[in-house]
Amino acid sequence: MVRIELKNISKSFRRFKALKNISLEIKDKEYFIILGPTGAGKTTLLKIVTGLIKPDSGDIIFNGKKVTDKTSGERNLGFMFENYALFPHMNVVKNISYSGRVHARDSTQTQTLVEQVLMMTLLTGRNDAFPEELSGGMKQRVALCRALLNLEQTKLLILDEPLKALDAGLRMSLRRELLQMAKSKELNLTVIHVTNDEQEAMMVADRIAIMNEGKLIQIGTPHEIYYHPNNLFVANFMSEINYFEGICIKNKEPTWDIHKKSKQGDMFFAQIHEDSVPMPLDLGFEDMYAAFVREDIYHDINHGDEVLLVVRANHFKIRLGDRVKEKKNALLGKIIRRKFMGVFYRFEVLININGKKKIIVVTIPATSEVHNSFVENSEVTIYFPKELGIVFKHPGKEIINEIFKLE
Amino acid sequence: MPSIELVNVTKTFNDGKVLAVDNISLKIDDGDYVFLLGPTGCGKTTTLRMIAGLENPTKGKVLIGGKDVEGIPPEDRDMGFIFQHFEIFDHLTVWENVTFGLEMRGYNDDYIIEEAEKALNKVGLLDYVDEYPSIFGNPGLQKLGIARAIATGAKILIMDEPLGSLDPKVSKVFRHELRNLIKDLGLTAIHVTHNQEEALAIADKIIIMRSGQILQMGTPYELYENPNSIFVANFLGETNFLQGFVLKLLEDNKMNIWIRLGGPKIECINFNNKFNLDDNIVISFRYEDVYLFPLDYDFEGSPYDWTNMQNFRADLEASRFIGATKRFYLKLDNGDRFLSIKPGNFEESFTIGEEIIVGIHLNDIHVFKTPENLFNELSLT
Repeated sequence: MVRIELKNISKSFRRFKALKNISLEIKDKEYFIILGPTGAGKTTLLKIVTGLIKPDSGDIIFNGKKVTDKTSGERNLGFMFENYALFPHMNVVKNISYSGRVHARDSTQTQTLVEQVLMMTLLTGRNDAFPEELSGGMKQRVALCRALLNLEQTKLLILDEPLKALDAGLRMSLRRELLQMAKSKELNLTVIHVTNDEQEAMMVADRIAIMNEGKLIQIGTPHEIYYHPNNLFVANFMSEINYFEGICIKNKEPTWDIHKKSKQGDMFFAQIHEDSVPMPLDLGFEDMYAAFVREDIYHDINHGDEVLLVVRANHFKIRLGDRVKEKKNALLGKIIRRKFMGVFYRFEVLININGKKKIIVVTIPATSEVHNSFVENSEVTIYFPKELGIVFKHPGKEIINEIFKLE
Repeated sequence: MPSIELVNVTKTFNDGKVLAVDNISLKIDDGDYVFLLGPTGCGKTTTLRMIAGLENPTKGKVLIGGKDVEGIPPEDRDMGFIFQHFEIFDHLTVWENVTFGLEMRGYNDDYIIEEAEKALNKVGLLDYVDEYPSIFGNPGLQKLGIARAIATGAKILIMDEPLGSLDPKVSKVFRHELRNLIKDLGLTAIHVTHNQEEALAIADKIIIMRSGQILQMGTPYELYENPNSIFVANFLGETNFLQGFVLKLLEDNKMNIWIRLGGPKIECINFNNKFNLDDNIVISFRYEDVYLFPLDYDFEGSPYDWTNMQNFRADLEASRFIGATKRFYLKLDNGDRFLSIKPGNFEESFTIGEEIIVGIHLNDIHVFKTPENLFNELSLT
């Protein structure tokens, strides 16, 4: 069993605060992803878990026992770092069993283990190959084998950007392999895996911890993080989004159906999920808009507060022509750019808010109907289901600019 | 007009011992944003360097705007260069970075100021003229690179992995901005990458190279919908492959195939009557073209037209939500595995381990002759 707790971990390098008071718990047999942009502090956190660096303050607890002062070797982990660190002068078997020998097991036992992991990682038959003879994907798997061999006691595998250097196609297939291996009955590992690729995170994680600028921003399942992000940073990090600035309207208790008849000042109140509440919004258009929000967010926002409505590009639906009156949460616009992207089409739709122009990005599954009918310059209605709108208290212009700045 | 044409171009290194580019011909139209895509060592960078004038072809011709450019150095080919590690001068301001090239060409001050302002305005950096490039992240540096290129009159942009050093998140957003900028400026652009997703997302046309040769070129849509080889089908997008053989030839250019080891029997199109009885074949179909139905689905009573839908049973091994899409991992009785992807909010009530019905439309199945070494064709290198 492996249960890891980090309590109030902080770490500075000179004046640079790399980690700011991080607390989290990783459960036994969990595939745990640490996700964030470059410089978020992910690798530093990983090195603290493995014991390669010591935190300035806070504690690391393995299975209820404090290991803060234990060395890396005493923590019994399997590591795999981004550059694989294979020995160029050793063949595959020697590279893999090197650490096994360090741990001074008897040699037959090591050999059986080596054969087992080679089979598991589909490397059987490559025993005598040297690293330079292997493809990127194979090297990655050799490094993984070595990490797996180190596990035995703790069954904790630590991966730092394990797939970063690989081709897109290979990366996709290896993600699946990694997950399968970690969850296999023989291994059943606890994994901590650092990445800056949100797709990779979603694909393998049981839970994701999102970090930015040394802080822990949110922990949750891929589903929670995607549908209920804590803030604009998380929402934007997980996929391409659109946002609208608006005002929360909370002074009556009408239902969705009557809002089309009445004007502003309505509120929708119907419990859909236990923890989500509809939030009526005025986005500066003629109509009212609404989105279901988490209860804590609902109570945090008052009538008249400025809010942000976030809608992911893939959560918009799109119809030809002006159908604003028929649909809820609908906007009229014109396709100014379209691009086929494989599974999806990506549209840039120009809309008009009180004379101000705004470009909305909409992605929809590519079908032949879309290919033939949704051409540039078409007039379209875009709309979103209210359970897919995400609402935050307006974080201020500066934060928005910070999140969306690309320069 | 800056169209680019390669006619039977070959490039060898080490006195002919290394064949980098093997007799390729291609044409890039004026204003097209074209990707050279392929695995490491496929010859894409060498091809780019020959177009740029950084290498000379061993055989064949490079034509720019219809003119043979043999002997014309890179700086006189009206091209701008954007590389992964930008050659931006850190010690010069944004303004000086752009005017430098113009000064080197000996233009007068009025002209330099006018052109530099125009160029910086077009890429949206006019507010930053007195700043040093160090304030920018990679996207800003690329815009500066483009400004520098267009200020000197470049009509062609040569880009080698320009998005390679960006964080995945930044790259996924910025690539659309890059494309829009290039299209709005009316530039002809050639972009080399090994990232398939990037090419699909922003290219007008893609040229897929492998072992020094061109495998296929066309719009992303053409290549995606009608790959001409197993390699292309596998390289671009995500595709399932199953092996089988031709069981029976049918009328109307159709045939029955049988997936190996007692897998399902499927009807597919025998394009140009290319296949004969008992031929070993590989079929490919995109993840997103795989429909999923519960075992008790009423095909007859359904409002949809399921004619030509090929149905067979499979076990649902696992599913995975990854945001915009949801992936379903399926397994046939014979042990073959394949995937289906659906939009992330796809409603289903399947349980893991359950047997379900899988449907693929006749037109979404591509058939290839089984190559000598299938593993090689699917290796992505």
